[in-house]
Amino acid sequence: MSDVAALRVEDLHEIVEQVWSSYLDPDGIEPLLPIFSEEDVAALKTDMHASVSITGTWHGHVVVACNEPAAKNCSAAFLAMEADEVGEEDMMDVLGELANIVGGNVKSMLPPGCFVSLPTVVTGEAPHYPSAEPVCQLAGLWKEDPFVITMWQSSGAAGEAA
Amino acid sequence: MKILIADDSRVMRQIVTRTLRQAGFDGHDLVEAQDGKQAFDMVQSEKPDLVISDWNMPEMTGVECLRQLRANGNDVKFGFVTSECTPEMMQQAEAAGALFFIIKPFTAERFDEVFSPILG
Repeated sequence: MSDVAALRVEDLHEIVEQVWSSYLDPDGIEPLLPIFSEEDVAALKTDMHASVSITGTWHGHVVVACNEPAAKNCSAAFLAMEADEVGEEDMMDVLGELANIVGGNVKSMLPPGCFVSLPTVVTGEAPHYPSAEPVCQLAGLWKEDPFVITMWQSSGAAGEAA
Repeated sequence: MKILIADDSRVMRQIVTRTLRQAGFDGHDLVEAQDGKQAFDMVQSEKPDLVISDWNMPEMTGVECLRQLRANGNDVKFGFVTSECTPEMMQQAEAAGALFFIIKPFTAERFDEVFSPILG
């Protein structure tokens, strides 16, 4: 595996901790609780996926996945509103911003010369990246709902050269 | 003071607005732009005292907006709030004339540190 394997799950965790302490858990009482068992991670059900693509000296995708209750709680915290006031558009916008923040911070840890796309958000089935494979993943529960952050590295020239 | 907040994400524009308030910078006149081109146009039409801009935006990036403003002789106080931070970007920002570089996620304390000398 290429140099990006040097981006460890601890690095993703550090980024996530910053996001949580700034926006989702400013009082430090409800952090994202990491899950380490592969079996438990595989059992997590997510149906909202926000992603940014990274191109340049490294090619791949950073995907933030969660379920609707998690997206609602996340949106309520980001937008300073009650969870039951959160609408579909709020969730899409907030998850997109979350992917943008995580992806931008991931970029800062990659070799120079990378570019981050604007975010996209899809609901339902997880997006497929046929020519990419997951190289780093952080999964956890926040307020009992799943959050999974995955880095997918594309195969091919730039993906392997990084 | 009039402050222009430029970010293609309305979520982030809202968070920047809230964080300014949390950091104690109430009472300023806030206007918003949704992309770099709109920010460039609004600097001319709205004449803000300060621009707080995202880096990666449609139509025109934040740094392209800043460069074009300076090329047109506009010296509005301008800085970045962005999730991307590399040494190259910071060098580009500084070379273009940016006053500050705030990394997302950010806190009210960070806003206080950066904006106190500017907003008083």
